[in-house]
Amino acid sequence: MLRCHTPPQCGRAPLRGRREPRAASATVVRCSRGAPQVSGLEAASGHAAASLEAEVGGQRPSLAERLRLGSLLEDGLSYKESFIVRCYEVGINKTATVETIANLLQEVGCNHAQSVGFSTDGFATTTTMRKLGLIWVTNRMHIEIYKYPAWGDVVEIETWCQEDGRIGTRRDWILKDLANDEVIGRATSKWVMMNQNTRRLQRVSDEVRDEVFVHCPKTPRLAFPEENNGSLKKIPILSDPAQYSRLGLVPRRADLDMNQHVNNVTYIGWVLESIPQDIIDTHELQTITLDYRRECQHDDIVDSLTYIEEGEEKSTNGSAFAAPHKEEQQQFLHCLRFAGTRDEINRGRTVWRKLAR
Amino acid sequence: MGVSIAASAFFPGSPAPAPVAPKNALGERPDSLDVRGVAAKPGSSSGTLRAGKTRAHAAVPKMNGGKSTVADGEHETVPSSVPRTFYNQLPDWSMLLAAITTIFLAAEKQWTLLDWKPKRPDMLSETFGFGRIIHDGFMFRQNFSIRSYEIGADRTASIETLMNHLQETALNHVKTAGLLGDGFGSTPEMSKRDLFWVVSQMQAIVERYPCWGDTVEVDTWVGAHGKNGMRRDWHLRDSMTGHTILKATSKWVMMNKLTRKLARIPDEVRTEIEPYFFERTAIVDEDNRKLPKFPEDQSATAAKYMRTGLTPRWADLDINQHVNNVKYIGWILESAPISILENHELASIVLDYKRECGRDSVLQSHTTVHTDCSSESGETTLHCEHLLSLESGPTIVKARTMWRPKGTKAQETVASSSL
Repeated sequence: MLRCHTPPQCGRAPLRGRREPRAASATVVRCSRGAPQVSGLEAASGHAAASLEAEVGGQRPSLAERLRLGSLLEDGLSYKESFIVRCYEVGINKTATVETIANLLQEVGCNHAQSVGFSTDGFATTTTMRKLGLIWVTNRMHIEIYKYPAWGDVVEIETWCQEDGRIGTRRDWILKDLANDEVIGRATSKWVMMNQNTRRLQRVSDEVRDEVFVHCPKTPRLAFPEENNGSLKKIPILSDPAQYSRLGLVPRRADLDMNQHVNNVTYIGWVLESIPQDIIDTHELQTITLDYRRECQHDDIVDSLTYIEEGEEKSTNGSAFAAPHKEEQQQFLHCLRFAGTRDEINRGRTVWRKLAR
Repeated sequence: MGVSIAASAFFPGSPAPAPVAPKNALGERPDSLDVRGVAAKPGSSSGTLRAGKTRAHAAVPKMNGGKSTVADGEHETVPSSVPRTFYNQLPDWSMLLAAITTIFLAAEKQWTLLDWKPKRPDMLSETFGFGRIIHDGFMFRQNFSIRSYEIGADRTASIETLMNHLQETALNHVKTAGLLGDGFGSTPEMSKRDLFWVVSQMQAIVERYPCWGDTVEVDTWVGAHGKNGMRRDWHLRDSMTGHTILKATSKWVMMNKLTRKLARIPDEVRTEIEPYFFERTAIVDEDNRKLPKFPEDQSATAAKYMRTGLTPRWADLDINQHVNNVKYIGWILESAPISILENHELASIVLDYKRECGRDSVLQSHTTVHTDCSSESGETTLHCEHLLSLESGPTIVKARTMWRPKGTKAQETVASSSL
């Protein structure tokens, strides 16, 4: 993990990629582990790839760094890290918000990338990708939470990435409550490679594949191994009228990344904005699936629409980890779109389970 | 490996059934908090396992044969590579604490070989997010690692991130001292009387902003504010260098939940909290010049900006469905022109909290920018006034900020070593 030992330099380093650690400083302390690889997580769409690489540190990392709460597992194929839930990450139910969970997933993906020597500009690109002007773009995000952690709980997250088809990569996560080793959530995400200039999707060439997937499980390992699981379900095109909506949402400064695009987690918050109050008061979000279509910037105005999803599979989707059948569930489809043009930004689905109050 | 066993054991594990440590933490000096007392507070302080001081209290006899080999120092205690995780093996918590203590003792000598300050053997536990009472029971210290999603557009921790950590440390202090009543804003005696603390003012001076992956050490303590208020101060430092990051002070008044009127502090609450009052201030006299001032000349160089239609999201609300205080800072800065944010960094801020707002509020944010070329080095500092109000009129927060150009070397504060 690159560390910033000389804080006065923080201000002078030129603005570059998102969340780029202070590699400009000479005091680099993390050693890379061979070929740079792609976590596929850090790059949101449309970033100019910066060019800093993880440097092999000649200096021994401090004890704090070596005892970072995260590390690669023995086989080097996945990464685990633990996080304490902080008080301001807890929402109206006294438990962590789904945005907090999403932030932690992003954090652990980032740290995985760092630990295997991915580029440290925040975009997790390989050398070849940068040469060709390629970046990773999120396609779909699917999060299931069975038990939300509370303030002070420690969540252990394991993550790994692997190939997904010819143009994609996927990153999976498993979340556990460290106290009792219980699985409290699972998530998976799909990423595709895109040329940042032409904005066209690109196949993963063999060259890139070799760089990228060296540190990934060779046999497929899925957070959602069961058939017909929720992460595979299509989200249909939605047409008006929506049953619920919240219009005129605007990005805040804190929602923006370096290139002034709204970050992925903000969309989750926007989707929830149009859920009716009585659902929020009586239910808890179990599953959220988001398909990312367009990017959004500071001056955009966004409408959030919610549609009740009837019929099919109101019950659990056969997942061994899902909530018991007897709990009531509500299911919704969502659309985030630009207020003016009505172009889709995201499509989503949420599943809610009744709170046991 | 030895140290990583120690490390993993600091997770709360299952809540320990040990008896609750006595409430009067004034008498609980760091070295008298024994292992079991710490175990009674799952999820909070990992306690005060200062190597050497807890020797007398470590529950060494509780260790089984397997663990005692660690005490013999046979295990390698110096991590020479990335530590293994033993997360799947969670033995009894108190036993592990005992093991840790002995590991610390055995490893203490070897720590001097590492890039490690021998004065801070407890940093192990603090890496895991638990804090501890220090300085004869008056202060609370906790370390945080800055996470990737906490940094702002210029790759440093945002002021909101820093303020969030202040909030978290304050709560952990209260919890560790056994003074957490219902909800986040009351002691037990206050909860009984439907009273809670409300922040009325916050002042913060930022000397430098930490980066992703930095570890920040926060010290916090409370004191009196007038006859009927409380003050809470914080001092944030870079854990590695000891350099000051931020100093802050806040003023709190007591309010009745039901009547929403200010209330006097009852004697029972005084008994709870006064033992903790510590009359040091984070922001000392010579710091006052760093605080933003009221601009004298209202005319010439003032530019006004506004942003409307700001609404709270679900994630902005606390368990009472009120907007979390820290969110106001984000909204205040919404109306600051982007040119300020790109070229300057926030050097200090004073916030006066007037009113709370909830889910259905719609707010507007106003910023007035005064350019001020009077700093000694000749660099342009900016003073701004801010107003956050409901669109219907009432003021939520008033604030003043001071900004310095990025890259300006802030006045160094002599790093004070651990207390």
